[in-house]
Amino acid sequence: MAGLTRTAGAFAVTPHKISVCILLQLYAPSAQMSLPFPFSSISQHNRLGLYLLSLTKSCDDIFEPKLEDLINQLREVGEDMDAWLTDHLTNRFSSLTSPDDLLNFFNDMRGILGSLDSGAAQDDQIILDPNSNLGMFVRRCILAFNLLSFEGVCHLFTSIEVYCREAHSSSAQYDESNDNLESLIQHDQMDMEKYIMDKATEEVELQKNASGRVPFHLHTPEALFKVTEGLLVTRKEKSRTNTKKAEATQLACASSSTVDDTLVDESLFLRTNYQIQGFLMEQADAIETHGSSLSSSSIESFLQKLQNLAPELHRVHFLRYLNKLHSDDYFAALENLLRYFDYSAGTEGFDLVLPSTGCSMYGRYEIALLCLGMMHFRFGHPNLALEVLTEAVRVSQQHSNDTCLAYTLAAMSNLLSEMGIASTTSVLGSSYSPVTSTASLLSVQQRVYILLKESLRRADTLKLRRLVASNHLAMAKFELMHVQRPLLSFGPKASVRHKTCPVSVCKEIRLGAHLLSDFSAESSTMTIDGSLSSVWLKDLQKPWGQPVFSQESGSRKSSTFFQFCDHLVSIPGSVSQIIGASYLLRATSWELYGSAPMARMNTLVYATLFGDSSSSSDAELAYLKLIQHLALYKGYKDAFAAVKIAEEKFLTVSKSKILLLKLQLLHEHALHRGNLKLAQRMCNELGGLASTTIGVDMELKVEASLREARTLLAAKQYSQAANVAHSLFCTCHKFNLQIEKASVLLLLAEIHKKSGNAVLGLPYALASISFCQSFNLDLLKASATLTLAELWLGLGSNHAKRALDLLHGAFPMILGHGGLELRARAYIFEANCYLSDPSFSVSTDSDTVLDSLRQASEELQALEYHELAAEAFYLMAMVYDKVGQLEEREEAATLFKMHITALENPQDEEPNMA
Amino acid sequence: MVSKESCRNEIRAAIRQLSDRCLYSAAKWAGEQLVGIEQDPSNFTPSNTRFQRGSSSIRRRFSTISTPQPSAGFSQPPATPLPQEEDEVIDGDLYLLAKSYFDCREYRRASHVLRDQMSNKSLFLRCYALYLAGEKRKEEEMIELEGPLGKSDAINRELVSLERELSALKRTGAIDSFGLYLYGVVLKEKGNESLARASLVESVNSYPWNWSAWSELQSLCTSIEILNSLNLNSHWMKEFFLGSAYQELRMHSESLAKYEYLQGIFSFSNYIQAQTAKAQYSLREFDQVEIMFEDLLRNDPYRVEDMDLYSNVLYAKEACAALSYLAHKVFLTDKYRPESCCIVGNYYSLKGQHEKAVMYFRRALKLNKKYLSAWTLMGHEYVEMKNTSAAIDAYRRAVDVNPCDYRAWYGLGQAYEMMGMPFYALHYFRKSIFFLPNDSRLWIAMAKCYQSEQLHMLEEAIKCYKRAVNCGDTEGIALNQLAKLHQKLGRNEEAAFYFEKDLERMDAEGLEGPNMFEALVFLATHLKTNKKFDEAEVYCTRLLDYSGPEKEKAKSLLRGIRMAQTDFPSMDMEHFPL
Repeated sequence: MAGLTRTAGAFAVTPHKISVCILLQLYAPSAQMSLPFPFSSISQHNRLGLYLLSLTKSCDDIFEPKLEDLINQLREVGEDMDAWLTDHLTNRFSSLTSPDDLLNFFNDMRGILGSLDSGAAQDDQIILDPNSNLGMFVRRCILAFNLLSFEGVCHLFTSIEVYCREAHSSSAQYDESNDNLESLIQHDQMDMEKYIMDKATEEVELQKNASGRVPFHLHTPEALFKVTEGLLVTRKEKSRTNTKKAEATQLACASSSTVDDTLVDESLFLRTNYQIQGFLMEQADAIETHGSSLSSSSIESFLQKLQNLAPELHRVHFLRYLNKLHSDDYFAALENLLRYFDYSAGTEGFDLVLPSTGCSMYGRYEIALLCLGMMHFRFGHPNLALEVLTEAVRVSQQHSNDTCLAYTLAAMSNLLSEMGIASTTSVLGSSYSPVTSTASLLSVQQRVYILLKESLRRADTLKLRRLVASNHLAMAKFELMHVQRPLLSFGPKASVRHKTCPVSVCKEIRLGAHLLSDFSAESSTMTIDGSLSSVWLKDLQKPWGQPVFSQESGSRKSSTFFQFCDHLVSIPGSVSQIIGASYLLRATSWELYGSAPMARMNTLVYATLFGDSSSSSDAELAYLKLIQHLALYKGYKDAFAAVKIAEEKFLTVSKSKILLLKLQLLHEHALHRGNLKLAQRMCNELGGLASTTIGVDMELKVEASLREARTLLAAKQYSQAANVAHSLFCTCHKFNLQIEKASVLLLLAEIHKKSGNAVLGLPYALASISFCQSFNLDLLKASATLTLAELWLGLGSNHAKRALDLLHGAFPMILGHGGLELRARAYIFEANCYLSDPSFSVSTDSDTVLDSLRQASEELQALEYHELAAEAFYLMAMVYDKVGQLEEREEAATLFKMHITALENPQDEEPNMA
Repeated sequence: MVSKESCRNEIRAAIRQLSDRCLYSAAKWAGEQLVGIEQDPSNFTPSNTRFQRGSSSIRRRFSTISTPQPSAGFSQPPATPLPQEEDEVIDGDLYLLAKSYFDCREYRRASHVLRDQMSNKSLFLRCYALYLAGEKRKEEEMIELEGPLGKSDAINRELVSLERELSALKRTGAIDSFGLYLYGVVLKEKGNESLARASLVESVNSYPWNWSAWSELQSLCTSIEILNSLNLNSHWMKEFFLGSAYQELRMHSESLAKYEYLQGIFSFSNYIQAQTAKAQYSLREFDQVEIMFEDLLRNDPYRVEDMDLYSNVLYAKEACAALSYLAHKVFLTDKYRPESCCIVGNYYSLKGQHEKAVMYFRRALKLNKKYLSAWTLMGHEYVEMKNTSAAIDAYRRAVDVNPCDYRAWYGLGQAYEMMGMPFYALHYFRKSIFFLPNDSRLWIAMAKCYQSEQLHMLEEAIKCYKRAVNCGDTEGIALNQLAKLHQKLGRNEEAAFYFEKDLERMDAEGLEGPNMFEALVFLATHLKTNKKFDEAEVYCTRLLDYSGPEKEKAKSLLRGIRMAQTDFPSMDMEHFPL
């Protein structure tokens, strides 16, 4: 096993460090003069000093710049003396012709250091304080060099040769490209991008220096700030001349992802463990964030390289597992997961392992089980996953690893709530004691609740903030979806009233978001270290062409800002992910409670602020919500266009959310256009996606049969539709899906209404309303009220007044939050009510009716809902006829006819996405 | 059938050519085969007879099986003409100098001397020396650059230039079969396997006597499909190749057949004997293997190759003394061979000194990081020492060296099972069974996993035990377990069936023990309840032969049977003292 210590490989001399040393020699020559030779002013001298300071700071990174990059940066910093600087640098390198020169070089380096008790230094002499940052750097370099064996010196010597050769071979290219920018873009994108990155680096460096917010700046004396201010100005001037260049680079940037080329960067040096671990963590984040859109082969090749360099770095296997997981390669993922845990026993690089509880003897294989369980879950093997997680619970209990236990329970509850396992009694009952006693009595939801509670309790006592937060969110989700009732009902006297409680949902969400304030308390040294060393890198990766890019895709507009803040206050990515999830959850809850604007707002907040740090599945969900919103409020054309974009972003694998959404939209669209065959097909496809096991994928199944009933209804096969709806209601009841019950009841009312059986429909509508009331489903309630009103009107025109009252009661909700269809329906119904009211005279009050009809027809045309649109135009034509406006009447009549023919001959020009 | 004489002449010429090109291990191999050919009695010379083993025990013991006549279908291959050596007068002197440098392991010097020589032989020697120089440097760098996270990826720096030169030569057609061999090796190192394979095939087709080329080719044949797709000319060397390739692909009986055929010509080849022993070892014929190795050591007492296998056999037979003797002998011969360390490790393991065993396995691994069996054996030691995570690490390394090593997969499964993770362990057992589906031990291990109290998946366990029975369960666990499981699940008929079978097996092997009592008691009771009194009585009387509680049980059963037979209504036994 790898005995990893912090000191291992802490500091090694590399060619890049030697360049820095050469520059340092220039900065502080041992000769006695106030201003060394090439510098024309103190500020110039200081600028080089600042640059060197940031260079030494960045020396701990995993990537080292090449000589070429360094020279390019020097060009920017050195201004008029850049040629001299670079010449000196390259000359110095070419003068190193034998290992002995290296030895002499480092001996000389000693000279620029003052003695440790350097109180006696003369004023006009520039001497590095051995305890300053630069001095420390020089001392470390000298020490590291002195520790090298002769073989080590030889290796250093050869790598210097390589370092210089690379620069020579590309410098010619650079000069050429400077002359002709056009050819440059075509010439070599890779080179260009490296160039961009340097500039980005430099920019950020300078910004850092100027702002003084960066921690290391605390050491810099006040005087330096003034210098940097001046420096910034000159930098801006420079950038203006460089705009042309920048334009060119933006193009290059957009064409290929920046992650790719940093990954294939040849100049990979192995540093301290912590840097590497941090870097790997960052890569893991990247894999999660970008999901399948990140090319897995580029990561793979990078990992291969890393593995060659450090065969004992087992975390590489884990990264590979993550990568394979996201590119949906089951076997490779499994293989790599097992390999990682076989090698490392789960003790390498997991931040959920607290050092205090570390026991090396048994390893931490329970984490392996946890990961394996989650992997099975992701690949759609819920039963296998449950088996594995059960074993994880058992093993973590055995090794008393409470942390892992808490996580496992959370994973388990997540699994159960997402999939809903049909027969969990045997599994849970046999192994997990808190559940054993009650297991047989409980439904899946109740088990989820118990697991969540248990996990939350443990996480709370162990101070695992992130887990606490995500458990709170899961709890909120649970509260949102499932009906509260006493967990264990004792006897007939126990309360059986079902209701949901928005307050508790809100409470849980807020508790979850508390994480932001106290995330730093979590005792995970790994994360902090990792993120520290990768901050620099992140800046490097940031494409220079951000402004252009963000104009193109609105959702990323403020991401740069947030990312920047992100590392300034250094919020770990996982934390912002959880916070982001809370916004998504808010959106979902508003959706359910029926406030479309609030839902949309929360989703947008998520997409703008957390889009970068979110996992791909969360991002997918956000897209889904926005697209649904589009479909409901803007019509299908926009929605389908958005789906196209989303499909490009997220790879559509089977059962992905985007695929589901597409099927739903297509179904909806087909129903509205009257293309029932297509609707039926979509509906069947949707049902086909669900698993065949009873009790699994319930949401999807309910959705599919709901849609089936609606299709049948549209085909005017009332009795069949009613049958389907009935059996659906029974299923919902059986699996405790209370909220779905409300919509099924509404559907039943609808069916009876359409079949002309208004009396039969009334109780259903009333029941639906009462369900909605107790579950706080306001929008659904409004829509049920509308149906109720329609039913009343169906009983005869003498009920028109009552119906109108009902409608007007629901109007604020419908108009404020309802979608296009609901609003149009309400408008038409209002007109209908007026028209059938005997006391209403069309001739005097035609505008009331016509206004709502016009409103309705516009909205319906956007939806392409032919049936209702025809109805609206029919009514319009009638009204115009009554009023005597013949021209308008003819117009409405033609539109009516158009919609009727469209309805009767549903063209097959379905959107080409099917 | 190839005539022995022609073989001999071919090999003699080949040895000279191979050693001219400094392909020493191929020459060594060929030399071994040369003296392995049975001598014509007519030109026996006293110096030759030393190597003959006509009187050895192996000939006597296996004389009946070791000389099958080759099938008639095997036609005489078209003789591959021996390449004529080119005229070496021109560059002869420099070549001689270079070769002596090479022999002194001064590779760079050797290649430098030959820098302008154009003859094929010099060209090959130059490239080969360069390659070896690069390899040597690579090994050194690997030590020098060793970091905290393991070895750095030192590479042979000569590969690029060698590849460039050899591919240019190949394009112009100015490359001979040895050059092709080197080209294949270089390509393989660079990771271009298919091209390497093609080059090696071309090499062995034009010059079949280079065993090094064959072994490189064999290491590139990782599946039977690849092996079958090779377009190889028939030659007796191909049979050697196939034998070893089949063995690597775990097709042991095919491999044995090849070696048996070859033994017709090379009756005294140590190599063939060792390979046969290897195959037999995989078939778990330990007794036979032991005899073969004893014989081998008698003829070739300073042999270290393959002796680790012999030590495994001795270990399995728990022959401490023989193992220590072997260990002592190889240690005197060459103590810094991975095989020697492995043998000592085995010895200490057998003695129960696991820490020391681990130390020697570690040393073996230091000498050869890819030494598969040392990793596995070290894993076993760690398991013995209850250091499961170290064991898992060792096994995993074995598996990564060779993913087909079923022992290591099995070890992994075992280690995880020990830690109380049976479900996790199942995956590893499944892997192991995939590579060796006919081993009842693996099936039994898997069944035990399913049977464990945490999983309690009895149906699956039953399926596994059934497979074990079908594979010829040697330890006799499966039948008993099957019977018990069925009994537990209340399927008495099946239980009786398996108990009966188990009983038959025990009778056949002359075994006794608690399992036997259990089977007898169950069968007697079961038959009695099914009113098959005669048969029940038979089992009861068998039980009466043994002492202990079972005897009492049998007695009471018999009483019950008698009563039931005489149709007495249920009465208290005490009234009818027998």
